[in-house]
Amino acid sequence: MKTKISALVDGELERHEAASPLDALGNDEAAREAWRTYNLIGDAMRDTRMLSAGFAGRVAARLAEEPTVMAPSRLSWRSERPRWQLLSAAASLAAVAMVTSAWYLLQDGAAPAPRIAQVAAPVAQVSPPDSANDYLYAHQGYSPRNSLQGVAPYVRMVSSESRAAKQ
Amino acid sequence: MIRALGIALVVCGGLAQAQGQEQTSPEASALLRKIYQATEKLSYAGTFVYQQGKRSETSRITRVTGPGPDGDVERVEVLDGMPREIVRTRDTVRCYMPDSHTVKVERRTGQRSFPAMLPEQISELSRNYSITRGEPLRIAGYDCDAVVLTPKDELRYGYKLWADAATGMLLKARTVDRKGETIEQFVFTQLSIGNVPRERVKSLQKAAQHWRVEDAAVAPTNVAGAGWTVGAELPGFRKIIEVTRRLGEARPVSQVVYSDGLAAVSVFIEPAAGRAEAVRPGPSSLGAFQIYTREVANHIVTVVGDAPAASVQRIATTVEYKRPQ
Repeated sequence: MKTKISALVDGELERHEAASPLDALGNDEAAREAWRTYNLIGDAMRDTRMLSAGFAGRVAARLAEEPTVMAPSRLSWRSERPRWQLLSAAASLAAVAMVTSAWYLLQDGAAPAPRIAQVAAPVAQVSPPDSANDYLYAHQGYSPRNSLQGVAPYVRMVSSESRAAKQ
Repeated sequence: MIRALGIALVVCGGLAQAQGQEQTSPEASALLRKIYQATEKLSYAGTFVYQQGKRSETSRITRVTGPGPDGDVERVEVLDGMPREIVRTRDTVRCYMPDSHTVKVERRTGQRSFPAMLPEQISELSRNYSITRGEPLRIAGYDCDAVVLTPKDELRYGYKLWADAATGMLLKARTVDRKGETIEQFVFTQLSIGNVPRERVKSLQKAAQHWRVEDAAVAPTNVAGAGWTVGAELPGFRKIIEVTRRLGEARPVSQVVYSDGLAAVSVFIEPAAGRAEAVRPGPSSLGAFQIYTREVANHIVTVVGDAPAASVQRIATTVEYKRPQ
């Protein structure tokens, strides 16, 4: 079974071959442990940053605490899709959860990821002057940020092509 | 009753916490000073990413230090899109714009040549920001200490800075608004400190000698003498310079700059007559900058700032003209 799980991790199994290791992952703790170990080895080889011990358990616990979204769904959904696809959907969801949580963890230690704000346009906003870059450039020369960051803040001027793309 | 008590306790707790955050720590101020000194003294070469809104651009930056007026040279080259390039010496900034085949040149008059941050200016900063230590972080292979500048009012943004613990070199700088959302961010992805060959700061724009040169022709001025007043200044901001200059090809304008030590707002005043482009009065924004345009006494007043829109607008609305007696 371990060989099959290793192959599954590497994405080497055909759809029909994947059924039995996927079943094992569903109900066999040893198989799940093998799955985690093989992924860990893969991460180490790819220089991916390591997750802390017990990470998956904590994600699972957090997911369990999340409220269930109560939304009407089609009753036939379950019967229409084979079990393999269901599992794959569940696996994708778990993967998304893992990646998202990992992303959050990797940002500045434990702080939430920065949300790059789109400057919210107040109702009465007009479009900037055509020669706005001339003003930005003239302004930048006296910005105190220069003594903090050197010449780097000059890149804040918006190039004409990225401005054109924005409009 | 118990519920009201509970709420009161929560509120008090929140206040205590907020006050706890507002105390500037001497270690954080010392680290901030170290960052300013590193910016002035170090030679380095590296690559950084600038993020703002959906925009994300990679640039290469190189700095060499040395004696004499042309000893310290810095060069930044935007690697994504049009290869814009800025080269700065102690008293001149040259900006190479390949899309318009233009070199913008700005020479400093003696009064303000990119001054270093003095210790008393750091203590001035702490009047408008509480300066505290943040969580250390490893960036581009360097173990960094963090300084957090939290604004004491809504007239300015907050800043979070991460600098190499050993040298003080700034590796990451984030500007945040009141809600904690990122306005813009600079972060080095690769950096080497020291031993930078001098030829690395020369402009790569070989063809630039045939380009159009736009000299800003900066000269000191006194806008009050011409009848202009900028009324009630923003709390914590003070006037740092007042000049006449050219914008773009030939437009002469007056520029008055206000700053609190980190944020800055420029007021540009120029005659409305002879302006080719339509004037659109009101607030606008471009990149991380807020802009406010007004027409006053047949002149166009354009206020530009790396500060919240409300601050920029507040300065703009106080600009007045009275015919000199």
